[in-house]
Amino acid sequence: MLVYNLFMTIRSKFALFAGSTSYILLHKILHRGGTSLPGKIAYQLDPAILKEFANKIQTVIITGTNGKTLTTALCARVLSQSGRLIITNKSGSNMIQGIVATIMAHAAQIRQANRQGQKPIAVLEVDEANVKAAAQSLQASHFVLTNIFRDQMDRYGEIYTTYEKITDGINSSPKAEVIANGDSPIFARKPYPNPVVYFGFADRPETGDHRAPTNTDGILAPTDDQVLHYHYLTYANLGSYFTPDKSFKRPDLKYAVTKVDSLTPAKSDFEIDQHAFTLPLGGLYNIYNALAAYALGREFGLCADQIFAALNEDSRIFGRQEQLHIGDHLVTIVLIKNPVGANSVIDMMISDPQPFSLVTLLNANYADGIDTSWIFDAEFERLHETKLAKIIVGGQRYQDFSVRLKMAGFPDQIVEQDFGKLIDRIKALPTKNAYVAATYTSMLMFRAELTKAGLAKGSF
Amino acid sequence: MTAYKLRIAHLYGDLMNTYGDYGNVIALTYYAKQIGVTVDYHLVSLHDTFKADDYDFVLFGGGQDYEESVTAKDLPGKSAEIKAYIEQGGSLLAVCGGFQLLGRTMEFADGKVINGIGVMSHHTVNLNSPELKDGMRGKRLIGNIEIKNNENGETYHGFENHQGRTFLGEGEKALGHVISGNGNNGDDQTEGVIYRQVYGTYFHGPILTRNGNLAKRILKNALSKRYPEIDWQGKLAAIPTESF
Repeated sequence: MLVYNLFMTIRSKFALFAGSTSYILLHKILHRGGTSLPGKIAYQLDPAILKEFANKIQTVIITGTNGKTLTTALCARVLSQSGRLIITNKSGSNMIQGIVATIMAHAAQIRQANRQGQKPIAVLEVDEANVKAAAQSLQASHFVLTNIFRDQMDRYGEIYTTYEKITDGINSSPKAEVIANGDSPIFARKPYPNPVVYFGFADRPETGDHRAPTNTDGILAPTDDQVLHYHYLTYANLGSYFTPDKSFKRPDLKYAVTKVDSLTPAKSDFEIDQHAFTLPLGGLYNIYNALAAYALGREFGLCADQIFAALNEDSRIFGRQEQLHIGDHLVTIVLIKNPVGANSVIDMMISDPQPFSLVTLLNANYADGIDTSWIFDAEFERLHETKLAKIIVGGQRYQDFSVRLKMAGFPDQIVEQDFGKLIDRIKALPTKNAYVAATYTSMLMFRAELTKAGLAKGSF
Repeated sequence: MTAYKLRIAHLYGDLMNTYGDYGNVIALTYYAKQIGVTVDYHLVSLHDTFKADDYDFVLFGGGQDYEESVTAKDLPGKSAEIKAYIEQGGSLLAVCGGFQLLGRTMEFADGKVINGIGVMSHHTVNLNSPELKDGMRGKRLIGNIEIKNNENGETYHGFENHQGRTFLGEGEKALGHVISGNGNNGDDQTEGVIYRQVYGTYFHGPILTRNGNLAKRILKNALSKRYPEIDWQGKLAAIPTESF
């Protein structure tokens, strides 16, 4: 056993060296992130490499199907108020190799902080299926759970499969604290061996009795197979849920949004635990992301003012949304890939007081999800509640989206199959503002055209 | 303008709603509106009553295994009326799990077998079944699919994504013959089912949004049963068909 351990340690040290070298070489030679490859080299040399860091850093794992990237960015920003070194996988490289790469890239900084008697905090976005490996290796101290919505079902299958993967990881680290979205019924299906706190929305009285819209996923109670009722819903299947027989209901919230004042695509005004707060981002889902970061900050002993100061810093956090100018037009690019995400984008458009145009780009390559049927699960009919002025439909599967929008009551569309002609089409739009709602590879193809036209930087 | 109505029941629409199955309601509503027919949509779910005479069209979609098992437990309470609806010539579209549950038995990926309502004679095995041809076991059937109905000459396009493999039984015809893709079981080249006015399929995409020819056929059947004096065929022929 001693020999084995010694051997592992030597192997780990070698792996660490190899990985660091690869990171530096890749970074310097290729000038392009290289977040996955150096990690892969090290991880393949020794899967135990992360264990070397378990007592050198404290680890927070952020997981769930939607909102991981922004929540991780917000959590990192909040925890930076603690004065400790923060390490985070900003690039969204959330598989185990990416995590190894992130940690390795900071190995020198970690050593230096350790020498000064400080333990850095790793704030890590972790893919649902990688939670167990990451948590066990790094001995995570906190899990932040955002939500579980139906995603690309050809990837991990049903939402309950995803839930099992996440809870499997959590159960394997029973000392770590769980900070979970209390409005998401799935997170309360089974008790955790861990300490748990919940966050959610408490901005309305607990008096209503509603059902989720028909097309909502995950609305069964774990007991007696009852369909959930809600005092109120925020979006998708999130809200203050209960069963009529009271055998299952939303757990008590430790941290809550107590009021929502105004929502626009660029700004959200609301209160958390009675403290007024402005987020320079639109979308109800981003309020959940901020609330998760707030809850984590409080659990780390930070006070509300410190957390708000961190979140209010006026630098734009790169979520999966970016803006650029095309001619006289201000174009906001949003990624869409599943019904919940698309509905959130539609909610954001409803909150937009300005007239706008919409460009939809649908591809069905592996990275987009090869099944396009989800566009019929999203409520594009609700675009009638917006100031939508003009529609351009494009992408390799433009026909699917064209029919979707026709059936939603928007027969007047510009159909543009050619990515190369989109920029000219956008320049001719009647509104100053435009949204480009695109699936992953269609966004890359659009960005390639932007780069060609000198409208966007090449690296992505 | 007119009082023509299409009363739709969406069976277990809040449980059996994966992969855009609701889009079939959207498609029927789209065509119905153009010929002056209003759609009344009703969700009929757990513990709700289903009555055969209350509806002109029924959608029974697919779901995740967990929701499908919950649905199967509730179904016996509704099965007599669903059978009556089907035997009276009521129009019904069943997709994936809904298609499976109208048959005799259905086997989940984990090997658990449950009973369908048995109004139709097909049965469904799982992806590891010895009933399957060698080489067809162990994988989900996922991908684009094209089929042709040789009786009416129509071609249908869609996307299939299923682990269950269905074998048609006595009195059942396939919705189409597989041109590309896998179909009901990856072996006998059948896809879906036609029985009386019931159309069953593994197509998502959803089938009626991509295949306007089938949407119109189903709409004509449903409306002709309720309003036999009207030339629905003629009205539907006069509006464009979305097919791609």
